[in-house]
Amino acid sequence: MGIALVAALLVLVVTALTPVASAASPAASPSAAAATAPKGTPIPVGVIPDPNAVITSGNGKLWNGDVVEVNFAPNGSDIGPNGKQLPNAGIDVAKCQVFINGALQKLTGPPVVQYLSPATPTLHFSLSSSYTSGKYDFKVVMVTTKGVSVEKQWSYDSQGQAGGQLVKWSVIKNWWKYIARGAIVTVELTVISILFASILALFGSLGRLSKKMTFRQAWDRYQSWGYMWRMVLGRIPYWVATFYTSLFRGTPLLLQIIFIYQVTPEIIRAFGLPNTLNPPAFWSGVAALSLNYGAYLTEVFRAGIQAVPKGQNEAAWAIGLSGWQTQRRVILPQAFKIVIPAVGNDFIALIKDTSLVSVITVEELLRRSQLAGAATFSFMSTLIVAAAFYWALTIFFSFWQAKLETRMARDKAREKEKGKAK
Amino acid sequence: MGTETYAHETIIDDKGRELVVKVEGLQKYFGKNHVLKGIDLEVYKGEVLVLIGPSGSGKSTFLRCLNFLEDPTIGEIRVGDVHVTCGSHGGKFKKDVHEIRMKCGMVFQEFNLFPHKDATENVTEGPILVKGLKKEEAIRKAQALLTKVGLAERMDFFPSQLSGGQKQRVAIARAMAMDPVLMLFDEPTSALDPELIGEVLKVMKELAEGGMTMIVVSHEMGFSRDVADRVVYMDDGYFIEQGPPSEVFFHPKDDRTKRFLRHILPEKEPEHAKELGIVEVDQELPDPDAVEGPPQGAVGAALDEGNFKDTAIPEIPLSGGPMGETPLPPGGENL
Repeated sequence: MGIALVAALLVLVVTALTPVASAASPAASPSAAAATAPKGTPIPVGVIPDPNAVITSGNGKLWNGDVVEVNFAPNGSDIGPNGKQLPNAGIDVAKCQVFINGALQKLTGPPVVQYLSPATPTLHFSLSSSYTSGKYDFKVVMVTTKGVSVEKQWSYDSQGQAGGQLVKWSVIKNWWKYIARGAIVTVELTVISILFASILALFGSLGRLSKKMTFRQAWDRYQSWGYMWRMVLGRIPYWVATFYTSLFRGTPLLLQIIFIYQVTPEIIRAFGLPNTLNPPAFWSGVAALSLNYGAYLTEVFRAGIQAVPKGQNEAAWAIGLSGWQTQRRVILPQAFKIVIPAVGNDFIALIKDTSLVSVITVEELLRRSQLAGAATFSFMSTLIVAAAFYWALTIFFSFWQAKLETRMARDKAREKEKGKAK
Repeated sequence: MGTETYAHETIIDDKGRELVVKVEGLQKYFGKNHVLKGIDLEVYKGEVLVLIGPSGSGKSTFLRCLNFLEDPTIGEIRVGDVHVTCGSHGGKFKKDVHEIRMKCGMVFQEFNLFPHKDATENVTEGPILVKGLKKEEAIRKAQALLTKVGLAERMDFFPSQLSGGQKQRVAIARAMAMDPVLMLFDEPTSALDPELIGEVLKVMKELAEGGMTMIVVSHEMGFSRDVADRVVYMDDGYFIEQGPPSEVFFHPKDDRTKRFLRHILPEKEPEHAKELGIVEVDQELPDPDAVEGPPQGAVGAALDEGNFKDTAIPEIPLSGGPMGETPLPPGGENL
């Protein structure tokens, strides 16, 4: 059963990875153009309202059919030649047009760019006439101040009435691939962060364990200021590692993510560097997750190293290995085996904690499902897709974690068997 | 003493013997606990020294101080041509300690084999990493050593696949792979099942016959009698008595040695106790505890810690135990 699940997930990921631009039905795959759009071209990702959505509320129409909104990714159109942010995300609003069923719509005024979300602004058209229900073809033409124009069409069949299902299969059908790409970003975030976190944790744990003697003991032992001074220098790794674990385990992960994302550009500005140096949201997220999980894994690694019997150290010293050789050849290989289950646990936890990165506009699983929900007015459908992906991912990786552990157990059993055979 | 010690110079005494170990005034504190209280020792090439003594007397600590697994507090230690003044620090100290460790092979009570490496890798680890031997060369050497300790069949076995005796023999091969001038054995057979002790002692005996200088902490009296050149009785951080095994075992001079032997031999080695004439030893012994007054009755004897062992010994023949052939008079009768 586990294998079937894994296989299903693999198929899901693979299909999500294959480009779908040409095969897309008119109403589906709003991000199909993303792969090919050149820098500076805005990418329309969704139209609001989706007439498939419930567009009336209990006490009357929520939407009167006189507004069309388009979510779009600026894709660089909002950055001017000097690296400064352009107004209206670089869209020449006066030249933008909206067509319904092929007819150019009259507007009550020029469209407006609204930043409901920083990464995906919205172009808002107010129509002078309204439309109600039925099948509509929307076409939007967006023009940037540089004169680049983008067209995008959507077809919707609308009943234009209240009610409808809570979970809309059409939404899931149309949007799951878009959300699946977010799942890939989630996996990337997780894998890259756990790698960096493990490296941090390795040095962190060695730092935490570098304290051999208290100052009082050292003074009683050697009574030498030279020795004490060298001891102060030798104590620095311990202090750094202790400060690091204390700080990152003592503050919320969400705060760390937002802090790194918001403060790095401030630092860059303070030093007068161009803001093209600003780290992308993705790498800010990786940095925060790595630092936070590195702090937790530091303690895990420390416990793992301490769990290796003391006699191993002594045996290594007795045959003349240096301190570093002892760590590298004798202690760490044994410690890694001890910590694998704990690191696996943290890996699973990290998959879920990557969702926090959505607050800094990284388009991972949760963020994409929210965008899709905003575009379709059906959060129920899109968030269920996100939950399903998270669940599938954790099951997938738990499965491999269990495999790894049984493999380690089997190695031991095989060793024993071999011992009996001879 | 009589021999001056200079670094990096082989010392030969007037009888033509090469000095391998020289310890002067060695003291060790664990915090405020004074464990070694001033030890002097000279060991010459090819000599086998056996350290005996009650638990807590500092035998293991002394052995571990010799290759600086414990950092001695005060004293001078010389192994081969390397001389270290204990209690110092710094680069030269570290370098000298490293050199001493390369010269000493150590075998532990708990084997301490590397569990993630097979027998051959355990043995090649030191030569490759420390001596910079080529891998093939190190493996050839390891195979020769493992064959020598009787493990030709088990070279690619992991420690978890080996019995205690086999593990300890791999540990001996691992220590020998560094071509030590001195082998330290820290109770090498204490963690072994009785039937496995023999195979380890046999290897140690072969080593001794091959001319290896050895310091052994062990209560295997049979081994000591057959192999040791010198037996040292250690108690309370001092060397109390030393001499050839025949002298220390048969004619101990110090009361503490007598008490210890009388206690340890019948319990651990009833046959050797008889062979070594433990009865004689006991008869010579004026028991210091007994002098203060014999215990009244069995309960009093059991409560009196000092006399408990003495009164317990003659009870064994009544139950038909192995002690039947070596009856010992109760301490009180020595009066």
